[in-house]
Amino acid sequence: MNEEILNALTEIFRDIFDNEDLVATPELCADDVEEWDSLSHIQLVVAIEKYWHIKFTAREIMKWQNVGEMVQGIANKIE
Amino acid sequence: MLINSLSFLAFFAIVVVVYFAPALRSKPAWQNLWLLLVSYVFYGLADWRMVPLLLGATVVFYALGVGVKQMMNGERWKAASRLTTLAAALGVALLLVFKYLNFFGESFAALLQGVGLSCSWTTLHILVPVGVSFFTFKLISYVVEIHRERIEPTHDFVQFATYIAFFPTIMSGPIDRPGKFLPQLMRSHTFEEPLALDGCRQVLWGIFTKMCIADNLALLTSSAWVMPTDFPASRLLVAALLFPLQMYADFAGYSDMAIGVAKVLGFRVERNFNHPYLARNVAEYWRRWHMSLTSWITDYVFMPLNIAMRDRGRIGTIIAVMINLIVIGLWHGANWTYALFGLYHGLLFIPLVFSGSFGRNRKLKPAAHGLPKGSDFLKMLGTYCLVAIGLLIFQAPSLSHFWAYVRALFRPSLLSIPSLGLPWFTYVGLLLLIACEWLCRDREHPLQFVHGPAASSRVVRWGIYYILILCIFFFQGQSQQFIYFQF
Repeated sequence: MNEEILNALTEIFRDIFDNEDLVATPELCADDVEEWDSLSHIQLVVAIEKYWHIKFTAREIMKWQNVGEMVQGIANKIE
Repeated sequence: MLINSLSFLAFFAIVVVVYFAPALRSKPAWQNLWLLLVSYVFYGLADWRMVPLLLGATVVFYALGVGVKQMMNGERWKAASRLTTLAAALGVALLLVFKYLNFFGESFAALLQGVGLSCSWTTLHILVPVGVSFFTFKLISYVVEIHRERIEPTHDFVQFATYIAFFPTIMSGPIDRPGKFLPQLMRSHTFEEPLALDGCRQVLWGIFTKMCIADNLALLTSSAWVMPTDFPASRLLVAALLFPLQMYADFAGYSDMAIGVAKVLGFRVERNFNHPYLARNVAEYWRRWHMSLTSWITDYVFMPLNIAMRDRGRIGTIIAVMINLIVIGLWHGANWTYALFGLYHGLLFIPLVFSGSFGRNRKLKPAAHGLPKGSDFLKMLGTYCLVAIGLLIFQAPSLSHFWAYVRALFRPSLLSIPSLGLPWFTYVGLLLLIACEWLCRDREHPLQFVHGPAASSRVVRWGIYYILILCIFFFQGQSQQFIYFQF
């Protein structure tokens, strides 16, 4: 399932960050993507919530340190 | 004890010699205990009456950190959240009592009097603890980071107390985060020559900018506020336009000294400035100015607010930005000028949010001639002028002083050639500072030589050090307190 989530995230990342070369990997974090700042992070969360029809708490969002943790958070919600 | 004084030099020499003494070197617990002791001595020399407050707050927040973790281990999530909220509220209460109580009392009394109700507020004589805005933010972030599961609480009280009271940064920051700083206290420190030398160079640069640029410029900028109409409007305009550079030379100078001193001891602390006047819009400026404060407020105020209002789109972002910047303004102190300063910057963000240029900016690339591209230069100049207007509000003693200054600016003497009365070296120092900002934009400070003759020749390097030291001896301005000490 995580692979499917990563593939979907890659599409969302490319759309939000306007970068067709971007590939979502579990290790990827904000420091690795020039356009990934506090504002685009929120846009990312909104896009993820819309795509999977889920809702995260503020604490869950603030806890993510990399894409791997983000994937785990999504998987927990859609299971 | 000012960090750029001879007494501090003597104090620091003793600290270093004992800290790296063979008896302490391999024992982090002893090194931390020594650091804690000297940090409290340093703080006590500034105001010994506030030592019990610092110690008391440290004990309480240490216990709160342990408590939050215990509740999370027992999966009592709501109780852990409540305790974290209590910690944040206690931190805010600490600031409210010591910094804002009189301000709110007086403002409330004035408001009631304004609507015809009789009310008087007796101004309380509350001592403002030195560095309270800085160490309170460290205390809050420690508990919040535990709650966010980003750090584990330390079970070594000395370690925690040393993080809070670390003497190079307790007076005026940078505001270190526990996740980066506490691990440094868990290992022993041996003298790291390259890091220590880099620290010494950074201290030298900081002393130079503070004493030769900021202190000299203070002659012009502070006198202009006493009675603005006594001076030609053109002089007031130049003073307003030079104040951002004075503030930068003063505060970044202090930060360089604090970071450099920490490096000599083997610590890496948060960077505070990243060439703020190369910013091409106000959002970029805030990412480059007082970074340890802005990133703190982004993480603990802006992000939770923006997350809570994420379904409201741009309006939600604007509200979060506004609150964020007003909090930054009021963090500086209890004065309506600081609130207006925050509001002004918040308003400047609105077009950026709507145009989509609020986010990170592309890396600065020079034109073929090595200077900034024309479009970038114009944006930098425009941002600088907007920042200068904001700092005019910021430095005004009150709103009425601000309006008086603005009114005094619009007089026929605006077109006259001003006599500034600054020592000639101030102009040389300013030109050097501006040139270094551009040429050394990829470095933490200009004395980090990575290429050119200074990198390859020891003679050139030492020549530069001696020139700076001679400048400090011969061209220093009248000693002024660091601007950010008052916060």
